[in-house]
Amino acid sequence: MKRWLKISLLLMPGLGLILIFIGSVVYIAIAQSFGYFNLSGESGFSLEYWAKMFDRLSYSRAIGYSLYIGVASAFLAVIFAYPLAIWLRRPFAGSLFISAVLKAPLLVHGLVVAFLYINIISYNGIVNQLLQALGIWDGPHRLQNDSGAVGVLILQTWKNMPFALLLLSGAVQAIGDDLLDAAADLGAGPFDRFRRVIAPLAVSATQAALVIVFVGALADFSFQVIAGPINKQSLSQLMVFFKGYGRWHDAAVIAVTLMGLGIAGSGVLALFSRFVLRGGRLS
Amino acid sequence: MNTVSVQNVSMRFGDFTAVDDVSFTVADGEFVTLLGPSGCGKTTLLNVVSGFLQPSAGKIEIGGVDVTFVPPEKRDTAMCFQSYALFPHLSVAENLQFGLKQKRLPAAERKQRLNDVAEKLDLVAQLEKLPNQLSGGQQQRVALGRALTMRPSVVLFDEPLSNLDAKLRESVRLEIRKIQADYNLAAIYVTHDQGEALAMSDRILIMRNGKIEQSGTPTEIYNFPQTSFVADFIGDANILDATIIGQESEDFWRVSTEIGELLVKSDTPPIAKRLKICWRPENAQFGAGEMNSIEAPITHRAFQGNYTDLFIEMNGVAQRVQWRRSHLEDITSLSMNIRPEDIIFLEAMT
Ligand SMILES: Nc1ncnc2c1ncn2[C@@H]1O[C@H](COP(=O)(O)OP(=O)(O)O)[C@@H](O)[C@H]1O
Ligand SMILES: [Mg+2]
Repeated sequence: MKRWLKISLLLMPGLGLILIFIGSVVYIAIAQSFGYFNLSGESGFSLEYWAKMFDRLSYSRAIGYSLYIGVASAFLAVIFAYPLAIWLRRPFAGSLFISAVLKAPLLVHGLVVAFLYINIISYNGIVNQLLQALGIWDGPHRLQNDSGAVGVLILQTWKNMPFALLLLSGAVQAIGDDLLDAAADLGAGPFDRFRRVIAPLAVSATQAALVIVFVGALADFSFQVIAGPINKQSLSQLMVFFKGYGRWHDAAVIAVTLMGLGIAGSGVLALFSRFVLRGGRLS
Repeated sequence: MNTVSVQNVSMRFGDFTAVDDVSFTVADGEFVTLLGPSGCGKTTLLNVVSGFLQPSAGKIEIGGVDVTFVPPEKRDTAMCFQSYALFPHLSVAENLQFGLKQKRLPAAERKQRLNDVAEKLDLVAQLEKLPNQLSGGQQQRVALGRALTMRPSVVLFDEPLSNLDAKLRESVRLEIRKIQADYNLAAIYVTHDQGEALAMSDRILIMRNGKIEQSGTPTEIYNFPQTSFVADFIGDANILDATIIGQESEDFWRVSTEIGELLVKSDTPPIAKRLKICWRPENAQFGAGEMNSIEAPITHRAFQGNYTDLFIEMNGVAQRVQWRRSHLEDITSLSMNIRPEDIIFLEAMT
């Protein structure tokens, strides 16, 4: 048997299935956004759906908002995870317990947390009660669905930080003690050790964490619906909205937009983080 | 003046004492070696001097200033690591300049120091390479160069040659010593290799179980070990239990041992009536002599190239003799003598 044929056959069950599923979904979404696969009328090539979408204010606003959530979540998750990863680099009494607790959010579904969160911050929830009891606030404040999307960012960070921590811990732990000792010996204090040794050596893990958190948060639906601002829509929300009215072509335009933003944004984030962590160089 | 002064330093990890009340000094330009078996606390002691560890007790001074609680990045020491610890993401030039950038030296001075070290260590052609593109010997030189560019008061070496093959080790030894002399640096050098210690050091501190067992110049240590541990660790030694029978004259003592009565010449009197003594295998004299003659059958022999190891047995005690002579094949027993001055009094027997 030919070598390439053998390899192809062996890869078929796994990779083949994945490629068929992803490929067909992507294909249908793209085709649909250009007017094909019409479920309730005539199919045929058309730029109309894209053109009309570009004219909608809700579309450009949703793009801006989703990018904001995606980028902010990615950076917040990584910024919180980094010090923890470095702190937990070498085992100490209780470190195993701490890292287990920190990873607990991975096991709790986002929806559950979102409900818990809006309960806590609700008009008569414990946060309001506590701040009033402490005399910091005179009366209850409305915290739910805040217009700055702080709630969504808190939830995204809470949910994604452990994942970033997992990735960064692996990278940070792989850096030997002697390397950090050498840096200290050559005059690098804690921050310079991070800047000049840890960060450049953990670039790949940081990129992976940023990209994965970004793509997930970019397409956020559930946190947005439960805890997000009332006056803003994420791209996923907009997509579901169109789908709810049976407007499949418009929904497909947004799906393709999400995919495109995911890829482009990931590329930008990856390059940006590499540039920053390598101290201003890309090579 | 003393560059480094270590005063009553102890280092405990939980219940375990890795370094136990150690004191020593290193003078300007002096090359001091910490020698001892693996696990005796050499690295721990070096880490206390460099600041990676804070001692449980005692004090470290560098250039007359107490640095016991000063972090490593603020100490004027530079370490040459056993693993080299080169930064894998930085080129050789960047590795060599790591500390200089940290010191915020002007670019011109950085370049001058870089070129100086690169030339001395023959690294000029390697400057743009990454560490993993270098041979072991070259990596070792980068590690050394990275420490030297800092022009520290004291360089610390933790078994820097243990990852090199034997031939390279000998040439790098000489190189390190030459550069250390060129820069007139104080150096503390850790090794478990006695040959390295003898060949390189101004002074050797022999460590055992976290304590300094004996210190002195290489010749002092080799010729006058004070304990059987030192005698055995540095060079080869035949160690015997001995009992003093009497003093013959001012410097001469008569002892009884398992291999018979021996006459010992020693400047220092024996430390106890029952004690250990030793003699070096290479000091055996061929043929019967006026004193300390021994005649014994040869049980094994091992050809070592420039000499032959002969093992003789007397009263069930094996002794080793190094013979610088060929044509020994037909000899089955050995007639030899030990000069009284070649026998050394060691520690008391417990
Ligand atoms: N961080 C530590 N915790 C507990 N024990 C240690 C630690 N570092 C070293 N030791 C122990 O101290 C002893 C001396 O170690 P080390 O200084 O590395 O020896 P050497 O360098 O002479 O081979 C060893 O028994 C080692 O197990
Ligand atoms: Mg060691």
